[in-house]
Amino acid sequence: METFRAKLKQETPRRVLVADDDPVMRHLVTTALKQQEYEVVMARDGREAYRILQADSQFRAAIFDMKMPFLEGVDLVRYMKSERRLMRIPIMIISSGQDLKLMTSSFSAGAVAFLPKPFTPDQLQGAIRMLVGSGPSVLWAA
Amino acid sequence: MTSFGADNNQRNGRQARHAAPAPAGAIDAVDMELLHSLEELQVVDDPDLIVELIDLYLLDAAQRVTQIREASIATDWVLLKRATHNLKGSSGNLGVRRVAELCEKLERMDSRDSPQTVADLLQLLEYETTMASAALAAVRQRRLG
Repeated sequence: METFRAKLKQETPRRVLVADDDPVMRHLVTTALKQQEYEVVMARDGREAYRILQADSQFRAAIFDMKMPFLEGVDLVRYMKSERRLMRIPIMIISSGQDLKLMTSSFSAGAVAFLPKPFTPDQLQGAIRMLVGSGPSVLWAA
Repeated sequence: MTSFGADNNQRNGRQARHAAPAPAGAIDAVDMELLHSLEELQVVDDPDLIVELIDLYLLDAAQRVTQIREASIATDWVLLKRATHNLKGSSGNLGVRRVAELCEKLERMDSRDSPQTVADLLQLLEYETTMASAALAAVRQRRLG
């Protein structure tokens, strides 16, 4: 089982889609992912992320800001969960609101993690590890 | 992969003796401990993360404050809330707490609030952003030597 799990993990691309309209947050998240040796595909708003997802599904995980122009993070989650080729990608929502409603709506849409701002580097790295660990290969192999 | 925080602290300590001080009001505008904790995310051989984040913030914050001012003049609450929400997020994560708190207050405003209250908060926000920018610019200068 361990060999099977390791093989599946190896075959999963080390690419993560990050969508955030805030350049500071985008850079923080990108750096944390780079530190964990992930390749980052960046989108500057929800619409750009949607376009990327229409053409590409090879992602280990996706991290979306909740509030973005054109399409919000939770709208992207709903879209991904409605597409067979995207539905297994684990998604984390980042939000500056600590509102329980935001968290509930993210989880009910299908996100597996929720990270409220502001966060510490440890919280961000931990959330990323949890997110990529909850990917399709791990759940499937378990 | 690992932080070079210790090296940076030593280097910054040396450079701090030669750098120009930040203006008086800027001294406590930024939570320096929180800002420097971001060094944990530094990737070896990459440019200084704190300097990059400061550069991005200075540019973005100035644009957001302009957007907020324009939105308040036009009483465009959607734009005002979006711009304050964004500024709140990045400010909170870089330790620019007073700006983040003012953004939180402005984000809760709507057409029921008096224009004077919004104008007063905006004026405070502009002041605090200027102070925070000065403090961040001083950190940037120290780190770059």
